[in-house]
Amino acid sequence: MILAVLFANSVGNVLIERFNGVPAEERLHWRSFLVKLGAENLKGVKNEELLVACHKSVYIVYTMLGDVSIFLVGKDEYDELALAEAIFIITAAVKDICGKPPTERVFLDKYGRICLCLDEIVWNGLLENTDKDRIKRLIRLKPPSEF
Amino acid sequence: MAESSGTTLMDLISADPTPVPAQASASSTASQPSPGAASAASHLHHPMPTTTKTTLGERKSKRATLMQIQNDTLSVARAALHPVKANIMPQRQRQKKKPVSYTQLARSIHELAATLDQKSSQKQLVNHVFPKLAVYNSVDPSLAPSLLMLNQQCEDRNVLRYVYYYLARILSDTGMSPGGGIPTPNWDALADIDAGGGVTRADVVPRIVNQLTSEASNSELEFHARRLQALKALTYSPSGNSELLSKLYEIVFGLLDKVADVPHKRKKGVFGTKGGDKESIIRSNLQYAAMSALRRLPLDPGNPLFLHRAAQGVSFADPVAVRHSLEILSELATRDPYTVAMTLEKLASPAGALQDILHLHDVLARVALARLCHSISRARALDERPDIRSQFNSILYQLLLDPSERVCYEAILCILGKHDNTERMDDRATGWYRLTREILKLPEAPSKDKSNKAKRPQPLIKLVMRRLESSFRSFSRPVLHAAARVVQEMGKSRAAAFAMGLQDIDEAVHVNSFADALDDAETNDSSHPEGIRRTSSISAGPGRSETIASLLASLMEVVRTTVACECVYVRAMVIKALIWMQSPHESLDELKSIIASELSDPGWPAALVNDVLLTLHARFKATPDMAVILLEIARIFATKVPGKIDADVLQLLWKTCLVGAGPDGKHTALEAVTIVLDLPPPQPGSMSGMTSIDRVSASDPKSALALQKLVQAAVWFLGENANYAASEYAWESATPPGTALMMLDADKMVAAASSRNPTLAGALTRLQRCAFSGSWEVRIVAVQALTTIAIRSGEPFRLQIYEFLYTLAEGGVQSQLSEMHLSNGEDQGVSGTGLGVLITPMLKVLDEMYVGQDELIKDIRHHDNANKEWKDEELKKLYETHERLLDFVSMFCYIPRAKYLPLGPISAKLIDTYRTKHNITASSGSTDPTVVATGISDLIYESTQPAPAASNSSGLDDDLVNAWAANLGDDGLLGNNAPAMSRVNEFIAGVGTDAPDVEEENVFSRPSVGYDDMWAKTLLETNEMEEDDARSGSSSPDSAGSVESSISSHFGGMNYPSLFSSKPSSQATAKSSGSKYQSTYEGYGSPIREEPPPPYSYSEPPQSRESFENPVAGSGSRNYESDDEEPRKSTGTRFGTALYDFTAGGDDELNLTAEEELEIEYEVDGWFYVKKKRPGRDGKMAGLVPVLYVNQS
Repeated sequence: MILAVLFANSVGNVLIERFNGVPAEERLHWRSFLVKLGAENLKGVKNEELLVACHKSVYIVYTMLGDVSIFLVGKDEYDELALAEAIFIITAAVKDICGKPPTERVFLDKYGRICLCLDEIVWNGLLENTDKDRIKRLIRLKPPSEF
Repeated sequence: MAESSGTTLMDLISADPTPVPAQASASSTASQPSPGAASAASHLHHPMPTTTKTTLGERKSKRATLMQIQNDTLSVARAALHPVKANIMPQRQRQKKKPVSYTQLARSIHELAATLDQKSSQKQLVNHVFPKLAVYNSVDPSLAPSLLMLNQQCEDRNVLRYVYYYLARILSDTGMSPGGGIPTPNWDALADIDAGGGVTRADVVPRIVNQLTSEASNSELEFHARRLQALKALTYSPSGNSELLSKLYEIVFGLLDKVADVPHKRKKGVFGTKGGDKESIIRSNLQYAAMSALRRLPLDPGNPLFLHRAAQGVSFADPVAVRHSLEILSELATRDPYTVAMTLEKLASPAGALQDILHLHDVLARVALARLCHSISRARALDERPDIRSQFNSILYQLLLDPSERVCYEAILCILGKHDNTERMDDRATGWYRLTREILKLPEAPSKDKSNKAKRPQPLIKLVMRRLESSFRSFSRPVLHAAARVVQEMGKSRAAAFAMGLQDIDEAVHVNSFADALDDAETNDSSHPEGIRRTSSISAGPGRSETIASLLASLMEVVRTTVACECVYVRAMVIKALIWMQSPHESLDELKSIIASELSDPGWPAALVNDVLLTLHARFKATPDMAVILLEIARIFATKVPGKIDADVLQLLWKTCLVGAGPDGKHTALEAVTIVLDLPPPQPGSMSGMTSIDRVSASDPKSALALQKLVQAAVWFLGENANYAASEYAWESATPPGTALMMLDADKMVAAASSRNPTLAGALTRLQRCAFSGSWEVRIVAVQALTTIAIRSGEPFRLQIYEFLYTLAEGGVQSQLSEMHLSNGEDQGVSGTGLGVLITPMLKVLDEMYVGQDELIKDIRHHDNANKEWKDEELKKLYETHERLLDFVSMFCYIPRAKYLPLGPISAKLIDTYRTKHNITASSGSTDPTVVATGISDLIYESTQPAPAASNSSGLDDDLVNAWAANLGDDGLLGNNAPAMSRVNEFIAGVGTDAPDVEEENVFSRPSVGYDDMWAKTLLETNEMEEDDARSGSSSPDSAGSVESSISSHFGGMNYPSLFSSKPSSQATAKSSGSKYQSTYEGYGSPIREEPPPPYSYSEPPQSRESFENPVAGSGSRNYESDDEEPRKSTGTRFGTALYDFTAGGDDELNLTAEEELEIEYEVDGWFYVKKKRPGRDGKMAGLVPVLYVNQS
């Protein structure tokens, strides 16, 4: 289960978050935990360099993309490596939409499409589509494979 | 923040779209709120378009309501953003930008939906309205009619995609902010004033479901992309709705009926869809949609159709569909491996579809395949069909060669027996055996011209080691972390194999020799398929000389170098791996120095440190032989990072090790614990860093405080367990009390004591020193510990302690020992040691016991001399004295009532006589028979748990009683009933997704607080208060004379959470500070099950020793607390303002800005624990600040 996908800006404002199977009262904790993790470790990190953390049996993989930090929290089959796969797909999709590692402005300009993309990548806490072209087609309401 | 202009969520929704014509005209008619309004929120007010239907008055009131709602929304929005620091308002004020409110967006959607024929409307929707709406965490149902209208009428794909997105969100909404972002205004309130009239979720959901259902069933070819999205949106609806669920099953199976059964011609080796005909592509798309939806539906294990459809998915063309089908199958296989295996039998054959998946470009599909193969190849249900098992086994082994680390590691973990969290030890042991013994021989390679080398059979262990070694050279932190985790799991399986004593785990054997040796024996074994048949044809090469030990050694070398990784989590995982791979016979020095140098790094979060401690505990459980080694490692934690470790966990570790060390190791184990006591006390003045392992690193007041608690815990532990470790019990002592009385010469006594029992004598010496030289809190606990030992031990120990306590109470010793007394600046009190008040009742109990013994001896002599029989009244008197003393003694520490003889061994006969006469069972006689009648076991095990020995409590096994008396019998070795054990087990099992604890304030607002947090909280909150209390209690002249209050301070002072379960302290706190804390502990899913403590009665043993396990523990202390008349410092909440800016120096501290208003929770050692009205820039709400920085109002 991918418990959470969270985008934050460089100063720790949450831009997008998607929680799956996390009780409402724990979300606040995750949010602050992740933002703190990012604040402590993401300074000077290269774009898309993956960082890792774990808490009990829950894994966290996070990275920086332009001005935006991206966090993924998962457990069970979504261990650090599976999350690394997922975050790679997400960063690729975001870069694709924004054209480059996004500044915050650009990210917010494309906010709606990023949400749609995310909807295609992580569906109910499970990784869904991993292929870039396929995601692109799906957010335009085209079938996943075209003829 | 302020610099990054226009880049916040609020700005996103404030970004000015070209106003919709209708809206523009509407807003122009309305008045603007004053731009200069001081309140930031006023900028968010938006005039509402007026409707012609309403009268002016209505309009006004509605507008007021709406404004109110908008205001609410915005303040909620701010609050939502605040925890993570959002200082948007001032900035927005400067920019004079008007955000688009939710209501405005909603209105735009309604209007644009109505004017859909215009191209600009669609553009507006896609570019401005929908993206902005995405910021809100939920979509209110009143939008649904417009969305449905758009869904029916709009042709634009982009608009439609958003429409599906929002419909799915409406369906998934449970009103609990599922999507994050800015909270949406209250729907009900909106519904009232919305032009559309009261639209509730209950109204719209059926409509949405109906429309989506009909779309999902629409079989028009052109429509199939929408069909996919409709089906997807439907799966978002909460799973509780059974009606909807059956509808979904119906749709999915209906779809699969049409698309799954058509004979599928797959292009060989090509998984892409290029070049396929239109029909088959559409079919494949629908297959994907159906399988994805099926994956989101609850499993239906008993349903053959479900299984059939899932198995069909394996052959689908769409890789994602294949992944989902494998995931479903692997989940089904854990429940019913037999049926799944039978269904998949053909697919697993060498040319079957499962083999194709090995080359499928989808990592998670291969992971699911590994799990599936593991479940089936290990299934006992398939013992009859070794051929099937071996086919799946072969696939599993081939996955070891997978290019993706994720898949390879999953395969390794499966082989090691780590499949889910319910693994058993024998699975693990066989896993290790398998990994070290078995051989992978690839089936005939698909391309024949490949070099022979690739096909050469390989021992699994070599493959795995090589793979892991190369992983450790990776630069990717996730890979390093995962590799270390795999090594840790290897260590677990290896430990299990050793513990199970699996035959020939000789690691010095050449890896290839197994193959040779086993070859003959195995060739006829049909359980091994071609793929893994052991073969003797391995060519002699360099691998010939490799042994498992050498392979492991070279792997561990690489693992150790990984400690250099800059990521602390990777390092923690490496250390855990090292702990697991540490064998009892190897030198420990390297591991110790690694850990010591690691812990010097301040970057280690406390949670991680405790995780490693729990790993030690788990390691101990797997290999009890290592108790002493592990204690040595634990010692490093205690000395290096006293502020970070959970004394609770450490004590648990001590205790388990003490029990596990066995009779021979007990002494060493106790010594290892008491090393904490030999540490020099932290010097508040000196802040110089100390780096030696044996020196304490308590450079700041906080860790000094923590170290002190640790010492307290160690002292308490010593008092509670010294008797167990020394196997010295008063109720087993053969020495008659008279003997001791004759040894009143102190030197002789000490000599006698130490010659008789060096362990106990050593413990006594340490405690005596603590009673002098520790800090105030430590001295209290030390005296209590001494009393406990005095009560439990036979002579001469009791007398020795008695004399010591007596001297201590008199205060005379101080002058003699003043050079030993390291003053820590405290006022030592009038009685010299300051302990007089505390000791008096303790001396009293010992006095009474001695007086009773004296009288008994006199009486016996009297009777003997006069040759008289004991009369019933005399016996009764004796028995009453016995019971009274038992009650009295029980107030101080736990003793087995049935066995304990306060009047000495000689009273046994007489008491027995009286009991037999009056038909009193040995264990009854207490005023609270329920506690004692069921035996000690009941105190230790949860009362709901039938205690193993409860039925024969009169004939308890001596060792068991003693173990119980020392509260050790419930260790994980004997059972897992204790709540504290569940935490360890939970840890070992790797469950639990408790949110991490980051910030103090969160704990208050969090009903489902985890045990760690709760514990930490008790430590911070109640504890300090109680210590304050203890201090004030005994320094106050009023309380000095009263036994009750001195007992109260005595227990209050001892009531730190490591000793008592958290409940009593929380209750005590709740009592004193209102209901504030109570809510914190109620309704949580804490692993500790606590029952309300029963009403206290003095005859019930105060179970101070039942700290971890006994759910009723501390009931005594609770009552003591409530008896306490002392006013508490922390009773009322005070307020204050910050005088100056203050920068937090640690996690617990709080940044202050001058003038900030604060709520003062309590004071501790020159610090206030304060709460702010709103979170600061760092997002923290509460923490410690220096008292001097706060002006109390």
